[in-house]
Amino acid sequence: MSDKTQAIFTGDRCLSCTSCMANCPVMAAIKDYRGPKLVGPAHGRMHFSQEDIEATLEFCSNCKSCDRACPSGVAVSTLNMLQRAEYYKTHPHTQAEDMIAHGERAGKMVRMMPFGATFANIGMEFGKTLGIFSKLGLAGERDMPAYASTPFKDLYSRIKQTAGGKKIVMFTGCFINDNEPQVGEAFVKVMNANGYEVLIDKGFNCCGSPLVVTGYLDEAKQHADNNADRILEWKKKGIPVVTPCTSCSLMLKEEYHELFAEHKFHEAAENVYDAFEFLEILQERGEFNDNVKPISQKLLYHVPCHLKCQAIGLPAANILEEFGANVQTADAGCCGISGNYGFRKDKYDISMKIGAKLFERVKRKDFDKVISDCGTCRMQIHHGSGIKPCHPIEILAAAYQ
Amino acid sequence: MKPFDVIVIGGGLAGLMAAAVAADNGQRVALLTYGSGSLPLASGAIDFLNAKAPDVAIKNLPAHHPYKKIGLKACDAAAKFFVDIAAKADLPYNGRLSAQIPIVTAVGTLKYSALVPESMDASNLVNKKKIFVVEIKGLKDFYAAMIVDNLKKIFPDKTFEVAKLDLNLLGGRDITCMDAAQIISVNEQILADGLKTLDVGDDDAIIIPPIFGLEGNSSRAAIKSQLRAEILETTCLPPSPTGIRLQRAFIKYLQSSGVRIFENSKVVRGVVDGKKVTGVVVENSVREKVFPARKVILATGGFYSGGITMRDFDQPREPIFDLPVFFPTGAENWSNEQLFSDEPQGFSMTGIFTDESLRPIDESGEILFENLHVVGANLGGSDFVFERSAGGVAISSAYKGATS
Ligand SMILES: Cc1cc2nc3c(=O)[nH]c(=O)nc-3n(C[C@H](O)[C@H](O)[C@H](O)COP(=O)(O)OP(=O)(O)OC[C@H]3O[C@@H](n4cnc5c(N)ncnc54)[C@H](O)[C@@H]3O)c2cc1C
Ligand code: SF4
Ligand code: SF4
Repeated sequence: MSDKTQAIFTGDRCLSCTSCMANCPVMAAIKDYRGPKLVGPAHGRMHFSQEDIEATLEFCSNCKSCDRACPSGVAVSTLNMLQRAEYYKTHPHTQAEDMIAHGERAGKMVRMMPFGATFANIGMEFGKTLGIFSKLGLAGERDMPAYASTPFKDLYSRIKQTAGGKKIVMFTGCFINDNEPQVGEAFVKVMNANGYEVLIDKGFNCCGSPLVVTGYLDEAKQHADNNADRILEWKKKGIPVVTPCTSCSLMLKEEYHELFAEHKFHEAAENVYDAFEFLEILQERGEFNDNVKPISQKLLYHVPCHLKCQAIGLPAANILEEFGANVQTADAGCCGISGNYGFRKDKYDISMKIGAKLFERVKRKDFDKVISDCGTCRMQIHHGSGIKPCHPIEILAAAYQ
Repeated sequence: MKPFDVIVIGGGLAGLMAAAVAADNGQRVALLTYGSGSLPLASGAIDFLNAKAPDVAIKNLPAHHPYKKIGLKACDAAAKFFVDIAAKADLPYNGRLSAQIPIVTAVGTLKYSALVPESMDASNLVNKKKIFVVEIKGLKDFYAAMIVDNLKKIFPDKTFEVAKLDLNLLGGRDITCMDAAQIISVNEQILADGLKTLDVGDDDAIIIPPIFGLEGNSSRAAIKSQLRAEILETTCLPPSPTGIRLQRAFIKYLQSSGVRIFENSKVVRGVVDGKKVTGVVVENSVREKVFPARKVILATGGFYSGGITMRDFDQPREPIFDLPVFFPTGAENWSNEQLFSDEPQGFSMTGIFTDESLRPIDESGEILFENLHVVGANLGGSDFVFERSAGGVAISSAYKGATS
């Protein structure tokens, strides 16, 4: 549908208007990065070869602010990611890169050990105190996301679902599964309240977003193939796949197709919904359960960059407002973390500089709660402001009693 | 989704202005835009018409000209509203419709506009004794010597001096005015200290590239307070800090008035019920989303921004509502051979014709939609570039469309 698919063909549309440069948060934070126009379409168009790599490509965080600014439909950030993959064909990854790209693998290992989560969390605490993370090339200033004692996929089997009849499959995403299972629980509660039983497909992999930004494109393609095949299976059965993680939904709906340009990714994408996008569709069809306690909170909403890209409006804000919430958008730009970008030692300062405006906004504390649909955005806001945000679906779940 | 009172399609100058006016009237507004519009490329100066007194010139325009539909009253109100919005975002503008103000261009010529950022207002240059033009080490595309050569032709009696400052910008990428402005917004003092080394008196002026930050007036104010001479910014190649400041001022105002801004949202169709538009359809990578509205303002720009498209020669289209597009018939009227000449270009007259409330009309003058208003560069009947009216038509049509 969209002409913005298949990134590789979009470079030639660049008019050199510089709008992307005016909106790139990394360019604003540092002088080293040459910026989206030169690195994406200009460089990407001429050379997709291993020999000729733009030296400052590493600075791109894949936040996609450039894509949104572009009047010509150039998939700037994806052009950058494709070039990054080209670079890593001939350059080894560091140990830190290997770690931050493979959170799913680490999570699985932790779960295989008895008391794995506890030990892993203690280990991370030590790792931080002893400066091991920093030596590895990770941002020693940060807490690594703590593992939940029970991952969501295990917790899920203990939830007594109330709904029957209609079904959806939940794409949990790694962060919700390993670190914030309470978001998953809230998701199930809301879907149940709306008459949907929530299924889990243990055959799904990590969406691949951390792999793409770290240059493991071949591995990401394997994930994409597997996930798309499974989504298509569910599509045949008429069961939609819904995810409360914004970066996962963007990956499944848009980036697979942009990166790999196979039609099946588009077909699979048609069966994928972001959580509140799905709920708003129910509402438009008159199928939304509005037996909701009035929400009297004042909410500050940090809209994730990866949600802004999706052109689905602001469904979480619309729904929460409908039930009385006072939702104010933070309007403070990118939070700076961009997935695993801000976890790199050499990108930590950039990441914090980008987020500074948002932290200031949050610290004004003129609200009851900060909400954001993206797990890493929530982590970054907590780290930068000391105030812990939640997923908007947790607010809605609490209102269904 | 609850219907918005007003949906504005397009986030260029016209769309931002229309959204601001509607919000100011207490309406619940959504702004849908695909791409960030042309303000980051523009100087931020608003041209109404290339005439000594634009208001008088507007009165003498032919009836099919957009200004005739808008009316002088709305033009005046728009100019006031614009200056007011900018001031609220701490971005002072000077000007009115009865006169024009000079600004210094990046090559050292003077350009006249009706509304200009205070930081560019070169009205007092004639009264200055000595003019310093400051070149900054490592800054791309700014040639002080050329500016001096050209200004000397305009002001042969004045003394000029090229001054070179090193603000430590080197290291990293090639620095544009936008980069320098960003750096100075974090550390104004480097520029203030640099300028203080010049031997300037009260009656002198300093001309610098546009690097007083990217938001509001605070960098300029901090530097100005430390120097006695007047400091002026020129225009520059894009990305242009003075245009970016204007864009940010509008966005700040819209956000503070609760306007919902939806980026990356390409509108592909309207939802219509007879002569009423009830919503617009946004297309994303896999599906469509309807945004319901009571009133729609079409601010999608001209050929450059996709507001008007043309696959086949002689068949320009308005892609969202399929509105009839006026164009000069016959290839001989379409363009004149010299692209950069001082004759108007036929193709730039192309656009949508409207009634006095800026609602689209067909050839017989019948109104096509009662609650759809067309504003900005997609209006037909004038060559905005030739007559230098783009900014003025954008803000005044936006004002009229939003208040009609
Ligand atoms: C380099 C340059 C310099 C300029 N300098 C001056 C100057 O000195 N003085 C002056 O007065 N004016 C100047 N202008 C003109 C001025 O800035 C505006 O371009 C002009 O007023 C037109 O504004 P607009 O809002 O109608 O259109 P645009 O600014 O073109 O904005 C249209 C917007 O609509 C969006 N859009 C289009 N189709 C869709 C769709 N289907 N769905 C959603 N969004 C859509 C586009 O992406 C764009 O954001 C300059 C322009 C340029 C490019
Ligand atoms: S994705 Fe973000 S960091 Fe990368 S070029 Fe685009 S705007 Fe800049
Ligand atoms: S915004 Fe798009 S068209 Fe403009 S320079 Fe960037 S990539 Fe090119």
